[in-house]
Amino acid sequence: MSAMAATKAPTSGRDYGYENARVRGMRSRLLTPQFFDDLMMSADLTRIIQALINTEYGPYIETAIIKGRTPAAMDEALRANMVATFQKIAGFLNAEASELIGTLLGRWDLFNLKSIVRGKHMHLKAEEIEDGLYAVGALTPIDLHLLVGLEDIRAVVDTLVTWGSPYAVPLRENLAAYGESGNLATLELALDRYYFGWAAARLSRRRDNTKLARHILGLQADSVNLVTVFRLLNSDIGDVDPKSFYLPGGAFVDEALFISLAAMSDVDEVIDGLKKTPYSRQMESVIARYVEESSLPVFERALEDFVMRKALDAGRGDPLGVGITIGYLWAKQNEITNLRIIIKCTSVGMPADRMRKELILV
Amino acid sequence: MMDKRFTKVMGLGVFLTVLAMPMMAFAQEGAATGATASWELGAAKALAAGFAMAVSAFSAAYAQAKIGAAGAGTLAERPEVAIWVITLQALPEVIVLLGFVSAIMINSAG
Repeated sequence: MSAMAATKAPTSGRDYGYENARVRGMRSRLLTPQFFDDLMMSADLTRIIQALINTEYGPYIETAIIKGRTPAAMDEALRANMVATFQKIAGFLNAEASELIGTLLGRWDLFNLKSIVRGKHMHLKAEEIEDGLYAVGALTPIDLHLLVGLEDIRAVVDTLVTWGSPYAVPLRENLAAYGESGNLATLELALDRYYFGWAAARLSRRRDNTKLARHILGLQADSVNLVTVFRLLNSDIGDVDPKSFYLPGGAFVDEALFISLAAMSDVDEVIDGLKKTPYSRQMESVIARYVEESSLPVFERALEDFVMRKALDAGRGDPLGVGITIGYLWAKQNEITNLRIIIKCTSVGMPADRMRKELILV
Repeated sequence: MMDKRFTKVMGLGVFLTVLAMPMMAFAQEGAATGATASWELGAAKALAAGFAMAVSAFSAAYAQAKIGAAGAGTLAERPEVAIWVITLQALPEVIVLLGFVSAIMINSAG
């Protein structure tokens, strides 16, 4: 049932020469900042299609626009390219990288399962749910198609149990609580906690590559935990213990720090509490914008940028390590996110200046 | 990541070879002044020459294996740089040639 987990690594052991050379070759085809600048000046979607048709997105766009030159078709093309790229990389990773990257890409399984569960909760059509899925983790497009076609959340959980999927464990344990309360957050939080705990346990070896992958995972966990802290500032959770929202496996925000941050009453205190972590400077850099906009997503975006920047830098240390692949995968995902933003913004006629603010680390 | 144990073994081999060369030279000098070319001198020279050749050949093979793997990866994504890959693949031959020359010099020394 799994792409990444079941794919047998073509190169054994820990030799990164072949795969890193390939990934570097692929990285050379990433779009340049100049290309993005030109793309933002495009008057309409047709111009964007013309510009992208000569890139590696071309074949996917040609296939997708048969249905019409719409943002949705472009979304489909970009998604198909991302899935194909990630699967291609999974096909030539060595044994160690396959395990490390497979564990990190587990977040896409998490994303897909949460999307399916959310879709089922909201009684969305199967096609609508499937449009938002990215089959780049262990769950293949066939697996996801099958899950999306099931009747309800219980059927999804039962199928995952039948497959022996690790994600069945948290879903099954919390299905009864979800049934009683109807609160989807119960299932989503259980999935999050399970993934970060599982991934942290898998990345516990003391090798340089494992440490790097563990660090990236830790930054992601910290990011989610800090977003939770910021959200808790403005919400009344009653008798619920804030500890229950904590995700394990963080790099700098441990459980004690999370609990102390969750007990704070305003943003300034939280940022002050982060003084000993690398997030402090990042948070302080956006505080003026937060005051201006009075919007917590400013911090979410700052954390996303921080994690993205660290992941992109992962390949700078060891040229014969897993960091090159990690950096590329994040860069590719970032590129596709930015293209989607440009396509959406252009289709609603947003000016280039405002569009540029929406982009993530071009 | 490069195999650290293999790198250490190779480094030690190269270090010992470099260390052995002056010793051989001194041994040859001593033998020449003694004016008797014993069979021990011939054996020592042959061993030193063989060692120099073997270490350089292994080093070249190791370098070519690494460059070959990376070159194959590069060619899969960017076939237009084939000429560079072939050039880089041939470069480590210099290592084995230098080892060969060293071996000849050791063997033919007075």
